[in-house]
Amino acid sequence: MSAFLTLWRKELTTYFLSPIAYIVMIFFLVVMGAIFSLLVSVLAEGPAGVTVMNLLFGSPFFWMTMLVLIPLLTMRLFSEEKRSGTIETLMTAPVSDAAVVLAKFAGALSFYIFMWAPTALYIFILYYFSADMAPPDPGPMAGGYLGAILIGMFYLSIGLFCSALTSNQIISAIITFAVMIVLFLTGLLDYVANAEWAQTLSAHLSSYSHMLEFSRGTLDSRPILYYLSGTAAMLFATVKMLEARNWK
Amino acid sequence: MIEVAHLTKRYPGRVAVDDISFRVNAGEIVGFLGPNGAGKSTTMRILAGYLPATGGIARIAGFDVATESNEARRRIGYLPENCPLYGEMRVDEYLRFRARLKGVPHSKLKARIGEVKERCGINDVGNRIIAHLSKGYRQRVGLAESLVHEPELLILDEPTIGLDPNQIRLVRSLITSLADKHTILLSTHILSEVEMTCRRVLIIDKGRIIASDTPDRLRRRMEGEATITAEVRGPQADVLNALRALPGVSEVLAEGADAWTRFTLRANREQDVRAALFETIATNGWVLRELHQEAATLEDIFVSLTQADKPGVRS
Repeated sequence: MSAFLTLWRKELTTYFLSPIAYIVMIFFLVVMGAIFSLLVSVLAEGPAGVTVMNLLFGSPFFWMTMLVLIPLLTMRLFSEEKRSGTIETLMTAPVSDAAVVLAKFAGALSFYIFMWAPTALYIFILYYFSADMAPPDPGPMAGGYLGAILIGMFYLSIGLFCSALTSNQIISAIITFAVMIVLFLTGLLDYVANAEWAQTLSAHLSSYSHMLEFSRGTLDSRPILYYLSGTAAMLFATVKMLEARNWK
Repeated sequence: MIEVAHLTKRYPGRVAVDDISFRVNAGEIVGFLGPNGAGKSTTMRILAGYLPATGGIARIAGFDVATESNEARRRIGYLPENCPLYGEMRVDEYLRFRARLKGVPHSKLKARIGEVKERCGINDVGNRIIAHLSKGYRQRVGLAESLVHEPELLILDEPTIGLDPNQIRLVRSLITSLADKHTILLSTHILSEVEMTCRRVLIIDKGRIIASDTPDRLRRRMEGEATITAEVRGPQADVLNALRALPGVSEVLAEGADAWTRFTLRANREQDVRAALFETIATNGWVLRELHQEAATLEDIFVSLTQADKPGVRS
């Protein structure tokens, strides 16, 4: 346990020692800020037809940002250790492979949550500065954040697995991006295909519509289970990937 | 401290380590010597618990590196080839991270880090970012890291590679000074390094151990035949015949076209032919300018063991 905490702390610290993390965070906040100002301008025109939180979490800008930022957060995790050779000192310390994988995942997730934290300010602004209308419901808000974390977990674990595949950060990022795009677009299949299987498939996989559900305040156990089990599967695959370290 | 029995590592289409067995006792400094690609690093990685072996058993202090890996790892300080470090961290930060990871208790953390920094001479760079350090300093940071949890065994893979001569000397004397508390297994392809630091040598080639002995004894084994060099002024053909006639001499080569000829003799080392050689030359009225017998170097042993296909000196 203490080894896990030591590793987790190191992973999180490493984010703050690299310029990429700051760039990612600034980029994310700029995009979220722009979405928020859009949201405010919609609200200013009177009662909106859509849920407020849907605007924040369901925006196409938000999704494009996520798809680009997640690979940037995860590409370094194992690739850099493999490139520099520190994987050898890391894996020969008296810690289990699973602890290393979990610590790296926890580090990435912590940074991801940290990245989201400033957006709580938007909620604060909505509550205290919109005098003449009802404040947003806490339900959709909590749902939106829960969705962001669940989806983030799954995508981060995909990124973690991809970075265990190669010693090249760029390749790791590209594979992660490709996998995420495929998953995401499969979720949008029902926009282009009318077949029943396509509808079912996209209902199960669509992070986009899951996020709309979450930010409407609806908690469906199916997507929650999908993201949790998906994350667990990816982490397990990463551990197995490390155990088969016949790489040179 | 180390027991290795029938250890084998196969990669697809290639055998990196081929059924090797050896022991290293507590307190020994053992040099792992072999040409590049002989299987040194692979063996060390298996011992350190990084790679799984295809077959055979390796034990560190009685713990199997495959099944009781964490117990074995706790007792090993491993410095991989090229000394990988986290470049973005500061030296102190890195040592603290590694010490915690290796289970050094919180109360001892400061004292341990202070001690290894003192020992490795990196007190003055504690606050520097590792990426900005010179190769020599980095190597010492790596050594300090491998020592920080007071391991019984140090496994050092090419600890002096890529250093300049001064740095090499520093790292070597550091390693020698560590011998009182630790058992050390170090690999190198530099022969003089083994002669200087190790009490025992394991020569490995193509994944097999082809010799295991002290540097001195290995040298003596080679010394069945000695090489003697003599420079003589006299009629070349006559001198050549006279030298060939000496008892114990098996082969004579002559080179040199001017008045002085340089003769290289292969002779039995047991009966020292130098005295007889001098007498022959003196009685014939020729002149002798130089006479010396070469001691076989570890280099000769190494070359003869790893290049020829002859069985070599197995132990």
